[in-house]
Amino acid sequence: MDFPLSFWDISLWLAITAIILLVTSELISPYYGKTNLIINRKRLRNVALTFSTLFLVTVGIRIATIIISP
Amino acid sequence: MHLRISSAGSAIVVMLLLGTILLITSIGYNSSILAFIGLGLVFWGAILLYVRPKEYARKALLEAVLSPSLATLNQMIQDLAYKGDATYLPPKYFADPETSKIYVSKQESATLPGPEQIQNYENQPLARTSQGLLITPPGIQLAKLLEKSLGTSFIKTDLKNLQQKLPKLFIEDLEIAENLEIQEENDPTEKKEDTAASGTQMKNTTIHAKITKPLYGNMLKDVEDPSQLASSIAYPVCSAIAIAITKATGKPVRITDTKSSEDGNVIETTYEIIED
Repeated sequence: MDFPLSFWDISLWLAITAIILLVTSELISPYYGKTNLIINRKRLRNVALTFSTLFLVTVGIRIATIIISP
Repeated sequence: MHLRISSAGSAIVVMLLLGTILLITSIGYNSSILAFIGLGLVFWGAILLYVRPKEYARKALLEAVLSPSLATLNQMIQDLAYKGDATYLPPKYFADPETSKIYVSKQESATLPGPEQIQNYENQPLARTSQGLLITPPGIQLAKLLEKSLGTSFIKTDLKNLQQKLPKLFIEDLEIAENLEIQEENDPTEKKEDTAASGTQMKNTTIHAKITKPLYGNMLKDVEDPSQLASSIAYPVCSAIAIAITKATGKPVRITDTKSSEDGNVIETTYEIIED
């Protein structure tokens, strides 16, 4: 009864999600005149940045594992 | 008690519930596909819940509520037949530096009264002095909201800082307008002020602001024959910018010209910083 996703599956999922969120966040920016979408853009951008950071952390762990392992 | 759940709200609940069920099932069946689907549903449900704005009002509603007050203001200004420009007074004119007032003189080229004269009427929303009229600006609360979003008072900033920060506040943070351009124009010709006592020549700085698709852009749409003075006071967005400039520079600011496009999508305002 283990969780079926490994650490690297989660890392891949984080990467894809982060890209989608970052692109969405950029495309709906008011600087491009998209002011008619009723969502909290600041929160969306924060979530996108958080997920990007989490993905980078998993990449960091991956690199550290490669360096440390004999 | 009636429980009202919007279609978006019910979609979020379904996504969260289905996602959770799929995640639990994926553990039982050891299926990574079910786990990915469950994780995705839970995640997007949570995201949609998180990015939903708490409260919003339609633009037309906001304008409909404010429009009669501005029509009254326009009528009042026309009846009083004041000829001076709308001048925003800096904090040094008031005991409380966060106060802001517009001074409209009776005569076109009258000088501004001293702070001691203004302070007598500081707490009154509308006051008539012997030489002019003191009004609370329509954009005072908007200016306070801008200060709150900026995290500091405009008194602690300067004009350069304001030119950099205001467009971001207007476009990105508060979404008041689609675009805001603030340009400082130093008048090459020196203007003679009516300072008869000193007879000195003063150089006034002109600031030109162009606001694209602002909130309250159609404020004077239903007002019959708005005067130039009324249109320079009426727009809360232009008023808030004037308050910001007068607080940042510490000098009186006069709105010399306000032009609005037919559809109210573009407002161009000229501010003049009056050198003491």
